[in-house]
Amino acid sequence: MIEYFNYMYEKTLEMLSLASSQGHGSLFLIFIIGILFGAIIQYTRVDKFEKIAGFAMLKDTIVPKMLFLAIGLASIGVYFMIELGYAHYHVKPIMINGLVIGGIIFGISMAIMGKCPGTGPISIAEGRIDILIGAIGGIFGGLVFTLFYDDFFKPLMGENLGKFTLPQILEGHEQITVLIFGIALVIISIIIPTIEEFDEADLTQLKEEDRPKNFKS
Amino acid sequence: MIRRIPWWVGGILMAILLMFTFSTFGADRTIGASTYVPYFAGVIFGLDPEKYTYLQHIEKSGSWEAVLLLGTLVGGFFTAIFVTKSFRISLIPTAWKKYKNNSIASRLIWSFIAGFFMIIGARLANGCTSGHFLSGMTQLAISGMIFGVVVMITLVVTGRYFYNIRDK
Repeated sequence: MIEYFNYMYEKTLEMLSLASSQGHGSLFLIFIIGILFGAIIQYTRVDKFEKIAGFAMLKDTIVPKMLFLAIGLASIGVYFMIELGYAHYHVKPIMINGLVIGGIIFGISMAIMGKCPGTGPISIAEGRIDILIGAIGGIFGGLVFTLFYDDFFKPLMGENLGKFTLPQILEGHEQITVLIFGIALVIISIIIPTIEEFDEADLTQLKEEDRPKNFKS
Repeated sequence: MIRRIPWWVGGILMAILLMFTFSTFGADRTIGASTYVPYFAGVIFGLDPEKYTYLQHIEKSGSWEAVLLLGTLVGGFFTAIFVTKSFRISLIPTAWKKYKNNSIASRLIWSFIAGFFMIIGARLANGCTSGHFLSGMTQLAISGMIFGVVVMITLVVTGRYFYNIRDK
C-alpha cells in the first residue's frame, strides 16, 4: 500500500515535469487553460446530460449551436494567426478506418453516456456519480487499448493518408475558403432553431428570478 | 447574478480560449481531452512504458492533458458551487428518467459500458470532441471533418433508437 502510494507520488511528479517541459506552456498556464475550459462549459451548462443526450434525441440544440459558433469564429482567427506567424498547424492524420470505426463507437457511447471525455470530468466536479462510474469504465477502455494497441488496434486504424486541411486541397483560394467555412458555420449556428431540454432537479435549486425565462416547472 | 450564460456568449469565449491556446503566447498547441485516459490507465495499473509502445506514443500529450484535466475539474467545481449552484450528488439524470427508465442500476451499467467504449472509440479515431471537433475543424483539418460527420450521424441515430422519444 505504502509502496503504491510512493509510486503514485513519483508518477505524479514525473507527469508534472513532463507536462511543463514540452515547450507548450508552463504548468500554471496549462492549469489556467483547464480552469477556463471547465468554467466556460459549466457556465453554459453544455456538460449536462440533458444537453448532450438531449441533442442526440433532437430535444436540445444548444450543443451544436455553441460548437459551430466556436469553430466558425476560431477557424478564421487561427488561420490569420498562423499566416502572421503567431500560431502553427497541429493537424491530425487521416486514417480512414480509425476515424470511421472510432467515430461510430464514439458517437454511440456519447449518446448513451450523455457526455464526452472533455465534459465528463466537469460533471464529476458537479457531483454526478454515474459519470464517475463511466470514467472508471473509460480507464479500463484506456487499459485495453494500451494492452492490445500493437496487435489489434493499430492495424485496425489503417493506413495513414497524411495530414491535410481544406485550404491545402483548394490551393490558390486559401483565404476565401477559410472565410466561407468560418462564416458558413457562424450562420449555421444562428439558424439552427433554439430548442431546450431543461433539468428540473437543477433549476428548482435556483431562486425563481435566476431560472431561465423559458423554463416552466 | 447570472446563473448561466447564453450559447453565443459561451461560443465566443470558447473561440477566444481556443485561439489563445493555439497562439505562441499561449500553449502553441491544441486542446485535447481523451489522451489523458490511457495515460492514467498506464499509471494506475503500473504498466511499463518500455513494454507498451502506445504509452511511449502518448507520454507527452497524455501528461499535458492530465494537467489540463486537473484545471478543468477545479474550474468546473468552482463554477458549480459559486456560480451555477448546480452542485449536487446525483446517480441518475432527470432526462434519463424521462426518456429511458427509473433504474439507477441500469444507468450505472450503461454509463460504465459507454465510458469503456467511448475511450476505445476516441483513441481509435485519435481524438474526441475537443481534439477533432473544436481543435481539428478549427484548422479545417479533413480528419476532424470526417470524424465530425460520422459522430453527428451516429449520435442522432443512437438517440433516436436508444431512448423512448416518440410520445414525449
